[in-house]
Amino acid sequence: MATISTVGTSERAAGDVRRRTSDLARAQARAGYLFVLPTSVLYLTFVIAPVIVTCILAFAYYDPMLGSRWVGFDNFIRFFTDRRSLQILWNTLRFAFFAVTFNVLVGLILALALNRAMPRWLLYFFRLSFFLPVIIAAAFVSIVWGYFFADDLGIINYYLRLMGLPSVRWLTDANQAMTSIIVMDVWKNTGFFMIIFIAALQGVPRSIIEAAVMDGTPAWRQFLRITLPYISPVVFFCIVYASIGALQVFESITILTQGGPGDATRSLSILIVEEGFGSFQIGYAASISVVMTVIILIITAVQQLLSRKWVQ
Amino acid sequence: MDNVLATRAMKRWVDAAIIAVMIVLAIGMLLPFLWLFSMSFRSVADAYKMPPSFLPPSLDFSNYVEVLTSRVPFVRIYVNSILVAVVVTVGQLVTCTFAAFAFARLRFRGRDALFFILLIGLMFPAQVTILPIYLGYARLGLLNQPIGLALMYLTSSFGVFLIRQFMLSQPKALEEAALMDGAGYFKIFWRISLPQLRPALSALGIITFTQTWNYYFQARVLLGPEESMTLPIAMDVLRGYMASGNLSVVMAAMSMSILPVVLLFLIAQKFVIEGITMSGIKT
Repeated sequence: MATISTVGTSERAAGDVRRRTSDLARAQARAGYLFVLPTSVLYLTFVIAPVIVTCILAFAYYDPMLGSRWVGFDNFIRFFTDRRSLQILWNTLRFAFFAVTFNVLVGLILALALNRAMPRWLLYFFRLSFFLPVIIAAAFVSIVWGYFFADDLGIINYYLRLMGLPSVRWLTDANQAMTSIIVMDVWKNTGFFMIIFIAALQGVPRSIIEAAVMDGTPAWRQFLRITLPYISPVVFFCIVYASIGALQVFESITILTQGGPGDATRSLSILIVEEGFGSFQIGYAASISVVMTVIILIITAVQQLLSRKWVQ
Repeated sequence: MDNVLATRAMKRWVDAAIIAVMIVLAIGMLLPFLWLFSMSFRSVADAYKMPPSFLPPSLDFSNYVEVLTSRVPFVRIYVNSILVAVVVTVGQLVTCTFAAFAFARLRFRGRDALFFILLIGLMFPAQVTILPIYLGYARLGLLNQPIGLALMYLTSSFGVFLIRQFMLSQPKALEEAALMDGAGYFKIFWRISLPQLRPALSALGIITFTQTWNYYFQARVLLGPEESMTLPIAMDVLRGYMASGNLSVVMAAMSMSILPVVLLFLIAQKFVIEGITMSGIKT
């Protein structure tokens, strides 16, 4: 009797526990949905839905007054057959390539230079001066650089003349303007990558480096054989991050050159704003932004694949 | 032994030389800021005189007064900027920590898929969302309203990701113990998780405030009239008005515009740096 009753209670207890766990799981799930609700609703409203609508608009001629109509791939065909838009696409890709390369490369070199023992205040000062441009809006610093780059009243040209060198038409020469914008972009953004690389370098195990030093491995080989493979995931992250930002380049160009001279520095973002909000070619502007997004997705995907293949 | 000592001595020299070069570079990085700050104190008559100054020639605030009394409603624009940045920062701190708590600590169906979809958002540029938002705002009367700009950014994939990363690195023993004691999930979130998140919240708060303060593309599309503008777009307008002579006045406006961000960074450099490395390294 006693045994049977014991078995009975324990079975009942086990059932209770099971029921309680499933109750708990259900309560947990309910809490989970509640906690993600605000973000999900906002994300749906301001990211997912607009992206879908943009993709739909890209296949339409949008005119709320006289009526919209489907145009199939016409907007994309127009973009990829128009010499001007192709020039602008090329400008953007060229800008992105050089801006990403130099931002990441200079950031890495600066980080290597700063990755050594120094007093705290000095490190604070370095972080301050290299990171300050990162946190100030490009809209603000571009105005300042506009005065630096100006032709006759420009500050850089003033010092060039002082040294007996010829002035440079930093922003008004079609062959020079893009380079000047890239220079400013690297000044502005490279500190971000420097900070990330400093943290990554501190993660490289000291013992391995010290062993290499003992073996008399030259510094450049230490870097190529040990440090670089170790921080390569971070390098890939930086390249993706920099590319996403660079492909959207807008304000520095708008303020420094307004896309000129001619179309020499016009970027996709500027074209989107001009077409979409200047001439109200909403459908065409949507197709350009879809092209831009697809480029970003492709670059991210390619870099993900490469990093999976090469990293460690 | 001699060899080791010699390499050590040489290493010390190399270190010193590199640091010296870096100091020169670091000062070079600061020149545009030194210039803009110094120029804001130059009298209008001397604005374009060469050589430029990189240290304030006087402490004459008349250019600042001129900005505040100019045709551009600078005070109004400044208030707009503060409003947008504060609303967005507070909004993100709330929504992102809520979501991060769910993603890091709770189990529910579809959690990982949802998180993945949220992360994809990091790759969508503002350019691909702005047209429908503009059209929608036009219908709802939210165009030319600073608050419209704020609404767009009440949550962010980056914020959720950052806080979740940080939460995952924290032990969850306390939270589990509280659950065993029968505490509700909201109470656990509020009493136990949130206090542990202070460094991550500071980082996200500062990064979000700075980012919002600096929005240009979105602001330029959504905000037309001067009274509705935020500082980055207003600066361009101000420059237009002042183009012919008043470089000093533009730079006074600029100094005031970058002040909050610079102060924030001077005070809380540590949190910004930690926040950025936290999100950058652990991807």
